[in-house]
Amino acid sequence: MEAKPSNLVDQLVVPGDVILDLSNMANQTLKLGGGLRQDGDSICVMKAGKLRFMKPNKYWVESSQKRYVPSAGDNVLGVVVDTKPENFLVDIKGPALAFLPVLSFEGGTRRNIPKFEVGTLLYVRVVSANTGMNPELSCMDANGKAAEYGVLKEGYMFESSTGLARALLSSPPHPVLEGLGKKLSFEIAVGINGRFWVNASQSSTVILVGNAIQKSESLSLVQQKIYLEKLLKSIQ
Amino acid sequence: MTVNEKKFIESALLSDIRVDGRRPFDYRNLTIRFGSEDGSAEVQLGQTQVIGFVTGQLSQPYRDRPNEGSFAIYTEFSPMADPSFEPGRPGETAIELGRIVDRGLRESRAVDTESLCVIAGKLVWSIRIDLHIIDNGGNLVDAANIAALAALSTFRRPECTLGGEDGQELIVHPPDEREPLSLILHHFPVAVTFGFIGKENTVVIDPTHYEEAVMGGSMTATLNTNGDVCAIQKAGGDAVSQTVIMQCLRIASVKAGDITSKIKDAVESYNTQRSLRKIKRHNPDQQGSSDVAKRHMERLTVGSDQSGIASQFNEHDKTNKRNSTLKGFSGGPASWDPYSKGVDGDALRTSLASRVAPVDKQKEESSQVNPETKSNPKSSETNSIALTHEVGLERKQSKSLKDAVKPKHKRRNKSNAS
Repeated sequence: MEAKPSNLVDQLVVPGDVILDLSNMANQTLKLGGGLRQDGDSICVMKAGKLRFMKPNKYWVESSQKRYVPSAGDNVLGVVVDTKPENFLVDIKGPALAFLPVLSFEGGTRRNIPKFEVGTLLYVRVVSANTGMNPELSCMDANGKAAEYGVLKEGYMFESSTGLARALLSSPPHPVLEGLGKKLSFEIAVGINGRFWVNASQSSTVILVGNAIQKSESLSLVQQKIYLEKLLKSIQ
Repeated sequence: MTVNEKKFIESALLSDIRVDGRRPFDYRNLTIRFGSEDGSAEVQLGQTQVIGFVTGQLSQPYRDRPNEGSFAIYTEFSPMADPSFEPGRPGETAIELGRIVDRGLRESRAVDTESLCVIAGKLVWSIRIDLHIIDNGGNLVDAANIAALAALSTFRRPECTLGGEDGQELIVHPPDEREPLSLILHHFPVAVTFGFIGKENTVVIDPTHYEEAVMGGSMTATLNTNGDVCAIQKAGGDAVSQTVIMQCLRIASVKAGDITSKIKDAVESYNTQRSLRKIKRHNPDQQGSSDVAKRHMERLTVGSDQSGIASQFNEHDKTNKRNSTLKGFSGGPASWDPYSKGVDGDALRTSLASRVAPVDKQKEESSQVNPETKSNPKSSETNSIALTHEVGLERKQSKSLKDAVKPKHKRRNKSNAS
């Protein structure tokens, strides 16, 4: 028998809310994601945010903050802060600096170690992130290919919250991003750690796109559409 | 700070735009808010937030300046403002910021220290200005300076008089007894900071903290609206040519005018709100007549100050004025009183009182309009003198509005009216 999803799905929950009572649900397995905890016979919320549910049995809480909690499999934007013989030390807006091994590049050997100066912007993948340890990064995907990872040249990096980063990566696409993409030509890389990078042929385009996305975070869907219209009119 | 950011900021400036969409000589949005206490101000300049707090204390003056008060500036860079701020002793930037704000106020003699003297050689007011940096979004100096000016403009110190048996004892009056006095500020020294970015010495005004990280040098010019340059600070950094500095000073004087008018508007609205608050709290049935009179006088003086007519009565003798108005008085308040603000206050008072007081008091209210309008010219003289005299002469017999004026008035009015 499939479980009835909790009636709090897609609603804002705060720590202490009980989303499911397990006493009347026997013989079922549930998968709990971030922000939820089992307390005896009830599932309680630990982090404030929106409760999400995916069939058949996954629950998790989605929240948005300025800090990033590294977790394996995420694509993030990192800034090189130091070089060591074995690793590059990269800041990914998490509690600890992450290590990027010098060999985790496609075709990387001891002879062609890339030279990154302090302040280089990289698009990398988080390989492993355990609490208490420094996260590990890689510039290759799971198959060992470079994919899109590596150095991001030119352009400008803007800061955002983790929620906005998720919204920029979601499908259906973010309305402001989609609308601007139809009129302007620019390149954008979004890190789930709350950073996004924009590049275009003209500085004014970069500034316009970056500021528009940052400002649209606090607007509702309808307000975003209105904001987008005004913006596009002012460009013409 | 990435390499991309540095290059981008410089290249964008070549086309005269900055990362947040501003032009090189645009200031960020400035908001000035005041706290519930006099002398506290919170300034937000873009993302930068600074809180200024002014307090006063009686102390001994310096030996070489026995009849001048003193003021000192203390800065605190809260660690929540920036990851690089450490708690504890102020670092180099904190001390430099304090020095710039202090120099702007002290060297230009913006704060009148002689009016802070109570007993020459023995007791003076020493003013302490605390500046707390809450959020560092760049350009802390300008925001801190505006916070200091706003807080100084709204600060009030208690009134002190010499009294006691031998007239040598100092009495500090609490605020509910006598209205506290504000400081005398001769002018507003406003700090304007410029950042020099790149090799071509591109100048930006009001740098954000990203721009501060890439700029090669900075200069802070403190000016006032009279066209005086109160102070200039350029500590190290890239060399800048003379023409660029002159251009910066010209731009700074324009910006200083904008900022001064914003500060003055904010202070004025705060002061009107403050006096409105005092009226609302007043309840004629429950408070002593001295409070009644004090609030009444204060409100009427506020009214007459705003109408700008106070100066006319400074020369007149009080009794002469009273006599002439008594003779000229012929009935309703609007017939002779040119200061309509005072009349409005009366209408408000009577409506408030009639709402609060029982019905039988309404007859008293109507006759009280007469003595109140007479007291108008009295109250339009200078604040402190009028207040001192009026408060001293009141009786505390009954608690109605009629007792707000001198008994002489009441008797004459009754004879006139009847």
